[in-house]
Amino acid sequence: MTAAALPLARPPRKGFFAALAPGGARVLFALVVVGVAFLFAFPVLWLGLTSLRPASGVYFVHRGTEFTLHNYVEALAQPGMLTAFFNSFAISTLATVLSLGVTVTSGYMLSRFRGPVPSAWFSIIYVLRCVPYISWVLPLFFVTRQLGIFDTYWGLLLPHVAVHICFFSWIMKGFFDGIDPSMEYAALIDGCTRWGAFFRVALPSAVPGLTALAILCWLYTWNEFLFALLLTSHRTPILTVVMAQFVHELGMEWHLMSATAIMALVPALIVTVFGQKYVIRGLRI
Amino acid sequence: MSISTATLDRPRKLRLFGERQRFMLLLILPAALGLVLFQVLPILTGANASFRDWSLHDPKMTWVGLKHYFYVLSDGGFLGVVLPNTLAFMGVSVAASLLLGLGLAMVLNRQFPGRAVLQTILLLPLMVAPVVAAIMIRWIFNDQFGVVNAFLDLLGLPGQAWLAQRWTAFAVILFADIWLWTPWFALLLLAGLQSLPREPFEAAAIDGASPWRVFRYLTLPMLRSVMVVCIVIRAIDAFRTFDIVWTITAGGPARSTELFSVYAYMEAFQAMNFARGSAAAMIGAAIIVVLAMVIFRVLNRWVEVSK
Repeated sequence: MTAAALPLARPPRKGFFAALAPGGARVLFALVVVGVAFLFAFPVLWLGLTSLRPASGVYFVHRGTEFTLHNYVEALAQPGMLTAFFNSFAISTLATVLSLGVTVTSGYMLSRFRGPVPSAWFSIIYVLRCVPYISWVLPLFFVTRQLGIFDTYWGLLLPHVAVHICFFSWIMKGFFDGIDPSMEYAALIDGCTRWGAFFRVALPSAVPGLTALAILCWLYTWNEFLFALLLTSHRTPILTVVMAQFVHELGMEWHLMSATAIMALVPALIVTVFGQKYVIRGLRI
Repeated sequence: MSISTATLDRPRKLRLFGERQRFMLLLILPAALGLVLFQVLPILTGANASFRDWSLHDPKMTWVGLKHYFYVLSDGGFLGVVLPNTLAFMGVSVAASLLLGLGLAMVLNRQFPGRAVLQTILLLPLMVAPVVAAIMIRWIFNDQFGVVNAFLDLLGLPGQAWLAQRWTAFAVILFADIWLWTPWFALLLLAGLQSLPREPFEAAAIDGASPWRVFRYLTLPMLRSVMVVCIVIRAIDAFRTFDIVWTITAGGPARSTELFSVYAYMEAFQAMNFARGSAAAMIGAAIIVVLAMVIFRVLNRWVEVSK
């Protein structure tokens, strides 16, 4: 990408390692990279191994040689499991669409306007961003009950959207800051309305950023736990809650928990594998 | 709002101003509605509770003013354990994931065989539900069945009761948090690295600058503004971390690894005093609002100076 790719580059100076063993630096680099990758993958590897062990062998994962796929069958047969998969998927997708829809206009406003209203809005967002979850998740339970949406899609969806408003508005402002507003001025002068300038000119240029945020938002909501735990109950089972409930003080069903976790990892993995290049391309803040 | 004064001063500009104002307000209306209903309203509920006597034997919930705030601020556990824990956690977690993330972003910014695979592996922590990861890490560090102790045993080293001692438990929490958030830093910094202009690097290559000098005098200064945003956002989140600590140690042993979110939760639900928990949460929020502002100012000055 940088120095090494250029034909004009001078050969790098010989360092200690290079003198000691030709190509040693490269080997060292490869070893470090493999080591770090292993460290990062280890908890997930361990999860995968645990999910393949019979229930009794979970405690000695590193010693057994007995493997089975039965855990997956058993996990899928749990009551509510398929509903939980569907609910998590629906909530994540809807929350992503709604959060982006709500924050893209807010970020645009923060980026394009100066004056008391935008700066007041920014301060509000900044302060609310700092308030710890704990201080509003607990009362949120009462609020969703009051509104009659506790344990429904809306009751989880709308708080999820609210969580993202502050952070996403902030990031979206960055996206629009990076887009030259002169095209919008030109559109305005040519008789386009402000909304027209926003939808037809600014929004299309922000698509890479929006894609990146959409992917991160989906992953975040798919994996979110605290809200799901507090704001849903039996009628709307959510995957993360179902997983956590396998490992209770009463029954430690590690094998079922890990099998479900590995299945839950699959959609996230698909999204990441196909989405990572858009995230890296789009997240310029 | 200055609509009325604008009417008096500049009648000709009135319509334009009003239209602009209306557009601005419409743009933020959905977001503002969401915030009011699902963030401001709950926060006010909590704030209201923090001034009242919320115990079960007082159904009228008498107004007690700042009593709970005084209680929390004079609680030795809060000042002597919770606050230092939270600040240390924030500092170490943010610094370590920033450095690691920067290193990984630099590595991923190069071309080598297997780069795409490595990148996917490094993003694994973003794909696993944090609660599952935390449960798994608790299990890995379990003193009887955990793989870490089994490994130490293999090496002939004595196993540790990782989660039963203050500092090892704290280290495990930190490890989990760094593991979870390093990919996030790496992703944002990699995006930043790839958006840098190429010309300075080409010039440096022609001049034969060493990799360290390129990093020190080109990459780092150009990445600074991205880093500042990342640090501030992450510092705020690290300060209010709850789920990892709750899942791994629940603040134990003997409430020695409590961060302030856990403290607020314990006061609210374990000690059954919702008001005191809310007061603790409010104090924490006030601290981080100020702290984040200071961090932002300091770092921004650092960016300005470096330009």
